[in-house]
Amino acid sequence: MDLLSALSLGELALSFSRVPLFPVFDLSYFIVSILYLKYEPGAVELSRRHPMASWLCAMLHCFGSYILADLLLGEPLIDYFSNNSSVLLASAVWYLIFFCPLDLFYKCVCFLPVKLIFVAMKEVVRVRKIAVGIHHAHHHYHHGWFVMIATGWVKGSGVALMSNFEQLLRGVWKPETNELLHMSFPTKASLYGAILFTLQQTRWLPVSKATLIFIFTMFMVSCKVFLTATHSHSSPFDALEAYICPVLFGAAWGGDHHHDNHGGSHGGSHGGGGPGAQHSAVPAKSKEELSEGSRKKKTKKAD
Amino acid sequence: MESPWDELALAFSRTSMFPFFDIAHYLVSVMALRHKPGAAAMAWKNPLASWFTAMLHCFGGGILSCILLAEPPLRFLANHTNILLASSIWYIIFFCPCDLVSQGYSFLPVQLLAAGMKEVTRTWKIVGGVTHANSYYKNGWLVMIAIGWARGAGGTVITNFESLAKGDWKPEGHEWLKMSYPAKVTLLGSVIFTFQHTKHLAISKHNLMFLYTIFIVATKVTMMITQTSTVSFAPFEDTLSRMLFGWQQQFSCEKKNEAKSSSNGTGSLASKPADDSSDKVKKKHAKKTE
Repeated sequence: MDLLSALSLGELALSFSRVPLFPVFDLSYFIVSILYLKYEPGAVELSRRHPMASWLCAMLHCFGSYILADLLLGEPLIDYFSNNSSVLLASAVWYLIFFCPLDLFYKCVCFLPVKLIFVAMKEVVRVRKIAVGIHHAHHHYHHGWFVMIATGWVKGSGVALMSNFEQLLRGVWKPETNELLHMSFPTKASLYGAILFTLQQTRWLPVSKATLIFIFTMFMVSCKVFLTATHSHSSPFDALEAYICPVLFGAAWGGDHHHDNHGGSHGGSHGGGGPGAQHSAVPAKSKEELSEGSRKKKTKKAD
Repeated sequence: MESPWDELALAFSRTSMFPFFDIAHYLVSVMALRHKPGAAAMAWKNPLASWFTAMLHCFGGGILSCILLAEPPLRFLANHTNILLASSIWYIIFFCPCDLVSQGYSFLPVQLLAAGMKEVTRTWKIVGGVTHANSYYKNGWLVMIAIGWARGAGGTVITNFESLAKGDWKPEGHEWLKMSYPAKVTLLGSVIFTFQHTKHLAISKHNLMFLYTIFIVATKVTMMITQTSTVSFAPFEDTLSRMLFGWQQQFSCEKKNEAKSSSNGTGSLASKPADDSSDKVKKKHAKKTE
């Protein structure tokens, strides 16, 4: 009985890992990515005044991971743009989201249950991209663990890592904000996922790739759907990090997470690290407060 | 009637760019650099930086296309004759005694001639980019358009980045998002040449090159004579953008009178996980002020 269930699970995972991504899953990936672009301040006005720049931004949101991975591995940056059908699909999504009459498409997509489905499907694509990226890097560098991790990470987190460049295209230049300073949940999860897949690829993790894809996809989908449904900005890793990081990196990191300490208490002892942590702690706090306020406002409006 | 025209176009499309048209291109590019504020002072203080900027102005499009196709961006340095030519033009423009060259250049017919010849090189670059991209990607017509555009008009992108890195240029105003006239006309050209290359356009290549060159030279010269920077594309573009992107505005104009609050309601439905939340607040403010 046990054996049977294990077998069926393995088969399920295998068939799951072979589902073709192209039309449906890719479509939802594009929809969610361009939706995030539309949430950015000024994106709508930009699309009215400079459609070309807005289109380029949308393409970066959809294909940023490929572009960045190609850049790191020294392949042509516009390699992915030779997939005409994907690019056309993404362009169609961009057009519908920004210019559909009455904003109909946008309203449909933003309807929460629909959006949750799309978000879940996007995570499927993300995990698959990480796996493919690591396989690809393994093909180039057989023992390059760090290359594999970096490629997988970049493939998973996509445009977030090149957000500065993407903002530049929209005419915003804020070099002081950076994804690496405030890593969001998808970025962190992609990093951890990339490490797991690298371990699997180098045979340190005794599971098959299909199973790992299946398990990690389930994890990502449940986390992301939960976060989206509750409008939460916290990440499931927060609790874990709050325990581990003080041990590894000392008090400075702990201050960043609890927001209890003030900057002055952990200044001098860490030569380089102290000021940086201090600097990042303050904006993080104010941002969280702001988000708290805006969320409350939103719920009030929805009522 | 047919054959002399054909012969003319064919002969024209076989013209070598090398000495004269390239010189005109370098001349116009470096003169554009020189007219920027502070460029002449920088050339005296730091000749090497000025030389490098001049090279970026001259070879920017090629560099951008090399970056996009993962070829070495410094490949342009391997072309010794062109580098020497461009360097000597840079030298005489910046360091010629009595500023003879720039005084000569300020004479309008000379400017017109040089600008017209520069536009001719643009056609050649677009065609070169499209064929080059086609050798990598047989079927990737988007890639062909992009590389053709990068070769023809990528110099502005590269030089913008260069001045961004120097810190004397801020992208806050949307200036650089406005596609300049050369960028637009190059985009048009690279789309046309890509279609020609994929046999969607039933016209021979030399004819197309001839017609396109005449078109861009004529528009450029009229622009320079009439001193307008906004060109003939404007009405055409206006109707096109109204056709393609105007849907929502028409509807929203009608709607605004009836139900202004509904547009705010959609904003509150929007949920946004794990993203920059202060931006969200800002956006809401923007919406309210509308």
